[in-house]
Amino acid sequence: MRSFRVLLLHELRSTWLSWTTWATWALFLSLLGIIHWYAILACSRTPMPWTPTEAVFRWFPLPLLCILPLLTMRSLAEERRAGTLGALLTTPASALAVVTAKFTSVWLTWVIFWISFAIFPVAAAHALGASTDPRILDGVTLGGGIAFIALSGLLHVSIGMLCGSRTRSPGLAALMTFICLLGLTVSGGLLDALPSDGWEWLGWLKEPADHLRTVGHLEDFASGIIDSQPVVLYLTGCALCLGLTVLAIETAD
Amino acid sequence: MADDVTQPELALEANRLTKRYGALTAIEDITFKVGPGEIVGFLGPNGAGKSTTLRILAGRLLATSGRATIWGESVALEPAKAKQHLAYMPENNPLPEDLRIREYLELRARLKGVEEDQVELRVDQSMHDCDLQGRAGMLIAHLSKGFRQRVGIADALLAEPKIILLDEPTIGLDPHQILGIRDLLRSLRGKMAVLISSHILAEVEQVCDRVIILNRGRIVAQGRTDELRRDLLPSRGHRVVAACTLAELERLTRAMDTQSTCREVRMVGDGWCEFRITLSPDSAARDQLLSSLVSAGLRVREVAEEQAGLEDIFLAATRRDNREVRT
Repeated sequence: MRSFRVLLLHELRSTWLSWTTWATWALFLSLLGIIHWYAILACSRTPMPWTPTEAVFRWFPLPLLCILPLLTMRSLAEERRAGTLGALLTTPASALAVVTAKFTSVWLTWVIFWISFAIFPVAAAHALGASTDPRILDGVTLGGGIAFIALSGLLHVSIGMLCGSRTRSPGLAALMTFICLLGLTVSGGLLDALPSDGWEWLGWLKEPADHLRTVGHLEDFASGIIDSQPVVLYLTGCALCLGLTVLAIETAD
Repeated sequence: MADDVTQPELALEANRLTKRYGALTAIEDITFKVGPGEIVGFLGPNGAGKSTTLRILAGRLLATSGRATIWGESVALEPAKAKQHLAYMPENNPLPEDLRIREYLELRARLKGVEEDQVELRVDQSMHDCDLQGRAGMLIAHLSKGFRQRVGIADALLAEPKIILLDEPTIGLDPHQILGIRDLLRSLRGKMAVLISSHILAEVEQVCDRVIILNRGRIVAQGRTDELRRDLLPSRGHRVVAACTLAELERLTRAMDTQSTCREVRMVGDGWCEFRITLSPDSAARDQLLSSLVSAGLRVREVAEEQAGLEDIFLAATRRDNREVRT
């Protein structure tokens, strides 16, 4: 436990002292800021069935695919490339402590990124004053969305860790993470989009793919519906990926 | 950092360690022991399996078969316990570039279980031992190769382990730094067991109590230097400077027993000839050489016995093994 605490503090410090983290954060906020701005403009022209905050969360796969691989790619692949991971494992710290500390650091950073998004609805509500639509702040959607991102982030970040443990190249780790997250995010919706004629043989995949509808899970959370199935999915997926990562690190040369 | 009430008889034991990568055997049946406080040199040509053995002992690689024990704990079965007694400095000593020396050593001390109130003290002591005090705030990325090696050795000393494994610790160091490290290692004798893999044989000879020589993944010799000298190089070399011609030298050699051979013959001016002669292990051979020189009527300026160095022992051990493999 002491090793985990020492490593976590070291990882958080390294992460937040690195200019790449701040650059990634700036990119993340720019991306969400632009989406939020256009959503407010759209709502101001025509009444929409969604709030600007909901609109941002519907675009959730974009920062997931573009930003998260940038956060996870450094933690294991970079250390493997430099050889410092092997040196770390010559101390009494176990591979489990190393992996979970790095995972927790990236996960916390990812959640902090999303919490920081709250400045846009708050700033918009403040700037537009009391005359504005109260839905502009939309605290329920904001809280539910961030809670979902924290939960799903467990699986998404652990996928990034697993990809990083399989290569010494941070670039390749980011690419592998992007592909895996893309597969996970779109696979559910993709099957729905297939025409019904001629694709019946894929019907057996519909039910399992239904469980992977990330955007659907997000919408449920944002509207206050907490289904246990996605909770189990993300928790068990995270445990499986981290377990495989620990094995990969222990046997890595 | 573990305080043991009872000290085991052996600090480190490798018992029939074998590592195979598919059809390739990296090491085979490696068996040796290191006692507490002993300094042992681990020698071998490139690819002999030194680093593989050290990595198995450090718990970074699983052996295909065999057993490694550190301070009585099995490296494979109780890695965390074994690592508490061990410090390992790998070859090339990878370090995080973005940390300062003190930050790095403090992190390593905490990971090695040094008590929080002792961390600063231990880091200061290790930096002092490795002459790093003036550079505590430097980024590791800005350090020269020599200073990076010193940081690695300071890291190894941090938690006062029972056993230190050093893989090529003086590679890239200048002669002054090598002397410093040599003195440091000597100061550890009796306090910690040290296993040093090195290509610099003179350094190993001066620091180590014993040597283990590997060739082609197997141990070909191990023991104290004088024991190995006796076993591997029983013939004794002598350097002779005498006033003689080459023809007289040839007659002299013929007069000696058949095992004696002259080599490196050279005229050194004013009729003096310097040559080296290898005599049989028989103690009478040297007397016979002297009497032969006198009876030949030669003026003799010098007859000196040459002690075979570790380099000669190393070459003899590896050549003997190579010959055995060929036959």
